[in-house]
Amino acid sequence: MSDSTGLSRAQVAVIYLVLTTAIASGIAIYSSATTFTTLLQTATSGLFLPILLAMIVAFMLDPLVRLIENRGVHRTLAIFIIYLLISAAITSLLLLIGPPNWRGMLQALKADVPRYISFAIVYLTEWLELAQKHFPFIAHYNLGDHLRNFSQTLIGAILVQTPRSAMRIGSLLILVPLFSFFFLRDSRRIMRGLISLTPNRYFEMVLDIYAHVSWQLSNFIRGRIIEAIIVGLVVWAGLALTDIRYAPILAVIAGVSNLVPYVGPIFGMLPGITIALVDLGVGAQFWWILCVYILIAQIIVDNMILIPILISKVSNLHPLWVILAIIMGGKLYGILGMIIGVPIASIINIIILEIRQYRRTFNLYNRYFSSRGKML
Amino acid sequence: MNPNPLWQNIFRNQAGKQTLAYFLSQIPMFAKLGRRELALLEKIVHLRNYVADEMIFSTGDIGSGMYVIRSGQVQIFTVDSEGKEHEQAILEPGDFFGEVALTGNRPRTAAARATTATSLVGLFRSDILEATLRHPAPTAKILFGLNRVLADRLLQCSQQLELLQSTTRDSQEHHHE
Repeated sequence: MSDSTGLSRAQVAVIYLVLTTAIASGIAIYSSATTFTTLLQTATSGLFLPILLAMIVAFMLDPLVRLIENRGVHRTLAIFIIYLLISAAITSLLLLIGPPNWRGMLQALKADVPRYISFAIVYLTEWLELAQKHFPFIAHYNLGDHLRNFSQTLIGAILVQTPRSAMRIGSLLILVPLFSFFFLRDSRRIMRGLISLTPNRYFEMVLDIYAHVSWQLSNFIRGRIIEAIIVGLVVWAGLALTDIRYAPILAVIAGVSNLVPYVGPIFGMLPGITIALVDLGVGAQFWWILCVYILIAQIIVDNMILIPILISKVSNLHPLWVILAIIMGGKLYGILGMIIGVPIASIINIIILEIRQYRRTFNLYNRYFSSRGKML
Repeated sequence: MNPNPLWQNIFRNQAGKQTLAYFLSQIPMFAKLGRRELALLEKIVHLRNYVADEMIFSTGDIGSGMYVIRSGQVQIFTVDSEGKEHEQAILEPGDFFGEVALTGNRPRTAAARATTATSLVGLFRSDILEATLRHPAPTAKILFGLNRVLADRLLQCSQQLELLQSTTRDSQEHHHE
């Protein structure tokens, strides 16, 4: 039964089978490897926002949890207590003021947005015509059309996305507390596990740098979020004094856009200014709103009070990096990317600075010791 | 207490002796800690394993903490300007070293090397700082124990210095006569 190579027919069959399987699985692995990244992308696309929000929530709640833990309470129990307190606070707040009329606000917004946008288009075209008289070459830039397109997509998005985003907000309400619970409880253990993987020679250095970076990072994130919340509240309070509509939404926009330095506040106040112009016209209230946005919220509260207290100078980014981070973040994740691009760039900046700082101290000590380790 | 080894095996948990908490409770500086403090200490220390002849740290490295030897052997040495090594001490399980760097970012004044396969328990500044924020009272107890041992060492040192001074004075007086 054996041929010239000395293999039985069964052996040949087995080899043939193994080879085919190997080639087939090789092709399968190769083809799946090319789609692997896309698979990964689709699998994680919905998770980006909840994980990000959960991390922020975990950073914000950590000091509170620590406060309870100090009294000798187990950490898990401390987290539960904080969760209970916060949900109680939110419930009582809702009972006191009554739930905000989101649905009505959205319906009104659906009707009003085209009005505001068309007003902005008219206003801008007037300006453009004026500018074209003086600088004829501007005629190429058809800003009005751009804005019209943008407004159409925006209205479409509001119409289509509202039910979908309601679903997403519902899932966020479940996912974010869940994720942040585990971040709060286990982040230390996870990081310790990761750090313990470093080789003995660099272990102490990595541990030290990690301690510095995490300290700076938590301060930075906490500072930024508190700053955004306070600016939002100030804008809300300022706008609530006038007859302007959508004050809560405008306050949220102002707060969130405040996360982006330099450029953010300007874009954050554009909707408010437009609505004020359309609904209230240029008058005392309009100037007050402008004053609230620029003078009170930005200059006095943010730049004179909050930034010096909350944000350390370490995290200052050069304006060029800010612009690059906004553009790159926008390319990657759209509007969300634009908002979080700068904080992420600042985080990278903090990490690099801390490592450099550590190495500088290291070199400083090297100056007091010769290369052989003798004190000079 | 029981002479019968069978009973001993049942009543005394031999596996308990293998745990990190048990090991730590046998170290003089942590001897007076209660169960709660030991549990905290167990969570904040790092276990590091070294092969024979592996450097633990060199002179001039930025130190960030101390080590307790769990098993194995560690040689402490300095290197002179000619590059020759001078052995300062050989440390055995239960001994600790590197405590100078625990309180401040100081460079290591000597080098340490594992002479055999060694398992160390590392206690580092950043972990202690974090623990003081989260569990102030137990951490204070841990630091107090550390302080006690260091104070003992200082006392011994000054006594030896005194002894040394008196002997040199005696010899000098002897010389004068």
